[in-house]
Amino acid sequence: MTTLETPPTTTPTPPPPPPAMRRAGNETSRVLLKRLAGCLIGGFVLGLMVNSKEGSPDDFGFVFHQTALKPRMLIFLAIGVVIFAGITFWGYLRQHARRPGVRPLGMGILVIVVSQVVLNWYDPQTVKFNGLRKLVDKSSGLSSTTTWFFDWLSWTLVALSVVVTGAAIVTRRRVFGWVTTVLGIAGAVLAWTAHSDVLDLGGGIDHSLGAYGDVIGFLILAGAGATVALSQAEVADSRGFMTRVMEYRPGLPFAVLGAVLAAFSYARNCWFAPVNRNLDFAKTHDAYQGTDINSLASNYLGWLGWVCFVVVAVLTLAATYLRQRLLGWLAAGAALVATVLTFFSLKSMTDVAAKSVPQFGKSWNNLGAGGFTACISYGLFAAAAAYVIARPKTRAAGKSATLPVSRALEKARNSANMKALIVIALAVALFYPPMLSQYWQNVLVTQMAVYLLLAVGLNVVVGWAGLLDLGYIAFYAVGAYTTAYLTGSLPRKPPSWLHMTPLLTIPFAIVACLIAGVLLGAPTLRLRGDYLAIVTLGFGEIIQIVAQNNPGNFTNGPRGVEPPVPHPKLEIGGWKITWGLDNLPYWYLLLVMLAIVVVLFYRLENSRLGRAWAAIREDEVAAQASGVNTVRAKLLAFAIGASTSALAGTFFASQTGFFDPTQFDIFTSILIVAYVVFGGMGSLPGAMAGAAVLTWLPEFLKSQVPTDDRQMWVGALVLAMMIFRPAGLLPAKRRKAELSHLDEASPGEVSAIPRGGAM
Amino acid sequence: MIPQPLADTHDVVFDVEHITLRFGGVVSLNDVSMQMRRGEILAVIGPNGAGKTSLFNVLTGVYTPQEGRVLLRGRPGDSPVSVIGKKTHVINRLGVARTFQNIRLFPALTAIENVKVAVETRQKAGPLAAMLGMPWQRKEERDSTAAAYALMRDVGLGERGNELASSLAYGEQRRLEIARALGTNPGVLLLDEPAAGTNPQEKRELAELISRINRERNISVLLIEHDMKLVMSVADRIIVLNFGGKIAEGTPEEIQRNPAVVAAYLGTSAEDAARQATDQPELHLIDTQLEPPPTDEERSGD
Ligand SMILES: Nc1ncnc2c1ncn2[C@@H]1O[C@H](COP(=O)(O)OP(=O)(O)OP(=O)(O)O)[C@@H](O)[C@H]1O
Ligand SMILES: [Mg+2]
Repeated sequence: MTTLETPPTTTPTPPPPPPAMRRAGNETSRVLLKRLAGCLIGGFVLGLMVNSKEGSPDDFGFVFHQTALKPRMLIFLAIGVVIFAGITFWGYLRQHARRPGVRPLGMGILVIVVSQVVLNWYDPQTVKFNGLRKLVDKSSGLSSTTTWFFDWLSWTLVALSVVVTGAAIVTRRRVFGWVTTVLGIAGAVLAWTAHSDVLDLGGGIDHSLGAYGDVIGFLILAGAGATVALSQAEVADSRGFMTRVMEYRPGLPFAVLGAVLAAFSYARNCWFAPVNRNLDFAKTHDAYQGTDINSLASNYLGWLGWVCFVVVAVLTLAATYLRQRLLGWLAAGAALVATVLTFFSLKSMTDVAAKSVPQFGKSWNNLGAGGFTACISYGLFAAAAAYVIARPKTRAAGKSATLPVSRALEKARNSANMKALIVIALAVALFYPPMLSQYWQNVLVTQMAVYLLLAVGLNVVVGWAGLLDLGYIAFYAVGAYTTAYLTGSLPRKPPSWLHMTPLLTIPFAIVACLIAGVLLGAPTLRLRGDYLAIVTLGFGEIIQIVAQNNPGNFTNGPRGVEPPVPHPKLEIGGWKITWGLDNLPYWYLLLVMLAIVVVLFYRLENSRLGRAWAAIREDEVAAQASGVNTVRAKLLAFAIGASTSALAGTFFASQTGFFDPTQFDIFTSILIVAYVVFGGMGSLPGAMAGAAVLTWLPEFLKSQVPTDDRQMWVGALVLAMMIFRPAGLLPAKRRKAELSHLDEASPGEVSAIPRGGAM
Repeated sequence: MIPQPLADTHDVVFDVEHITLRFGGVVSLNDVSMQMRRGEILAVIGPNGAGKTSLFNVLTGVYTPQEGRVLLRGRPGDSPVSVIGKKTHVINRLGVARTFQNIRLFPALTAIENVKVAVETRQKAGPLAAMLGMPWQRKEERDSTAAAYALMRDVGLGERGNELASSLAYGEQRRLEIARALGTNPGVLLLDEPAAGTNPQEKRELAELISRINRERNISVLLIEHDMKLVMSVADRIIVLNFGGKIAEGTPEEIQRNPAVVAAYLGTSAEDAARQATDQPELHLIDTQLEPPPTDEERSGD
């Protein structure tokens, strides 16, 4: 029985007697002491976390001993003290902390620290900044600025920037701001030259990110300095600034970015990369002289490529500058044509090369990043054009920046932003993966792809309907086993008329999952939140154990499926696509699936069912009283979520070919919940971003921290996210509203940390 | 208080007979019987904890009484159905809409979305039609938006549609709740203290709104309210509850003169109250402050 109304409190609690001054003093000192202890322990834990765990990885006592004794422990305790001071003197700092430039400053420092502490700097030796410093000290033949940079210059530049920017903020002298700008630019140049110096001397193939991160960090510092020097505002308004930048000439930043990227791609980037050689655009043209490449591609390499770039760039810049909708359409069309031309030329190039010199690598494996970068830059141009098309008349808005902007305008702005971002996301999703190394392509397809789909599906259940489903993986298993059965990969064979190719099994897998979803949902959906979570947890476990136990010799138990599930095939008329062992084609298959699902779900979110879900999540009793059939709506959420995981299951089964019940464990289930929560519950882009970031991060950390430490860092990131940004990476519109009213809302509302409860 | 016999029994909306509702040892409703006639504004009054909200919760299927029966003819011409054991949303579909004592909007939805949720419970298009963007689904969507805006204008919130429900002022939230209730096209509307926490001006407007809804839409209204001025001005009849039992029923004039009612409110015995009432003719229920005016804390959060 739910309690509808809390009985009114008739006796107001009398106000506490004014506390004696002495007691108040005690109270504050106790709070301070607690806070200091907390900060120091936090620093100590950080010290343990970044320990390299020399000796046995399981010998925690040894690790502890090492960490506690090393002088570097002092550094982390010092960090703790700094945080303590920051919290304690926040009141004094705050008036300055809100000034423009403070956030970029912090951001820049964070990026630099991460680059110089966490990231690798030189791959052939697998060293970080500090390791490289030792190498540089030992080696001769490097310029003295390089040695200095690694020795003391970079950290000094950072410290100087902080001090000078701080002075600029406090004293409001513009000169100091410009000094920081100069320092930042100098740092960026130094980092770049020092790294190339090392590369020139050391040689070898280097994919490390440290130097690039450092350059970006220093450039952000420079930007912070410029912001301090230029802005007179008391309170930073980055959103307003961004709006003004976009208002100045709609989409101009995208267009400029696209122009820079395209110029870089045509002038410097490597277009053709057969074994041991990197040829840029011009050299590629020379290399293809005299081959039997078709004339279009040959012309593209000769002059057409540059013409494409110039035409698209000029059209887009003109469109943004003149705010002409017609020019915008022209620019978008030109960008599309340029993309097609580029892509076509790339295909001809790679086919010719693969045919004539097989040892250069298979098709698509012998290309450099240049062509794909060019395609992405055309995507950026198209995004700028889309922005122009969506909002041709922004001049009026730009003028009335001080007035409260009308809602209609804001809506138009949001939709323009969204269109532009969708174009960019699409361009990156299409053209970035081919640039990746084999290893990362494999990660993309085997680690990320499926979880993107699963997160989007679970978001329906957890994010929209507000039902905590911890057994979501079970539906994934049902989908995968259905596909395996229908393709004849299980001991029990389907009747011959039901034997089919993987892609054809999708509707059947969906139906199977729908049934499973309803079977689980119908008896359990009456349960309240926590109880539902436990029951679904049990369901997930049951499905896994059933698969292990092999009832009726259906699942083949722990031995997994055999023979392997075939790879997907598609035949429409004479047009035939087959997927094989290559990873990249699977990515595009997934992209198609994901695009369909996202479009359908986006519509669903804004339909009556989507609103009914939101209503149930917000207040179930009120939803019922408004006539919402809550059981039906929840069942639908379960079923729709389940059918998405059927899609993922089919994809997974036919991509890996082999799987066994251990792949559907509770841990994975909970991971998917974590992706959704991390990305932003109830937000479609959030769920995808959460899955992408949290599947990418462990793989990325593989090369950066000891393997055993990876999950710890991921956990730390999730923890920090939940404390500082509880609504997630890309918060849902509806959820954001909910969370921003936390302080006023009923005490039953969930929040990561109660107000004022943090230390 | 013998209830007056009804001319036509088909015109009864709620026919409540001898319901008793207990929570463990607490008896929230004790053998309560009442009849609500079609088209009337019936007020339920009583001191705090008298069982008024419990009665609403029984009528809307949130609570199931241990004893008694409740028959409902939601809309004119309906045949009577028992309410007991039915789900809340089913009862809502039979024509019963309600508001809550402590406002229960969907705070993260906009005002217009709040109303649309209610309007759309009467629509047909399923999830598949929505995902595929079928023309009839789009038409329904447009219809519900138009209907919701019409309702918002009706309660005087025409301009506030895109605001988040939680960002509306207190009185506006109360009116939004009424709009949401009306969205389900009810035959009878249950209002639980709609004037609580509103200022005198808003109270007058609310009284006007309630009578207008009653008159123009021909919706019977069951009203819980502590503000006697409001009750006396809009109610056709009044039922008085105390300690879960019905102690009086009648027209506003009758109720004001009823010694048992005065006693219940003043906390004295009926005889004392009767004596007092005759001693001091100016003592009138209408002056009795039944509830302390809400403080700011009570207004901002429940
Ligand atoms: N869910 C519940 N569980 C236990 N007791 C309840 C429950 N709901 C109501 N009661 C009890 O029933 C009695 C009547 O409560 P009810 O809310 O109906 O009073 P009310 O007349 O609406 O009062 P108010 O004017 O304060 O709103 C109270 O004693 C209350 O404590
Ligand atoms: Mg009540």
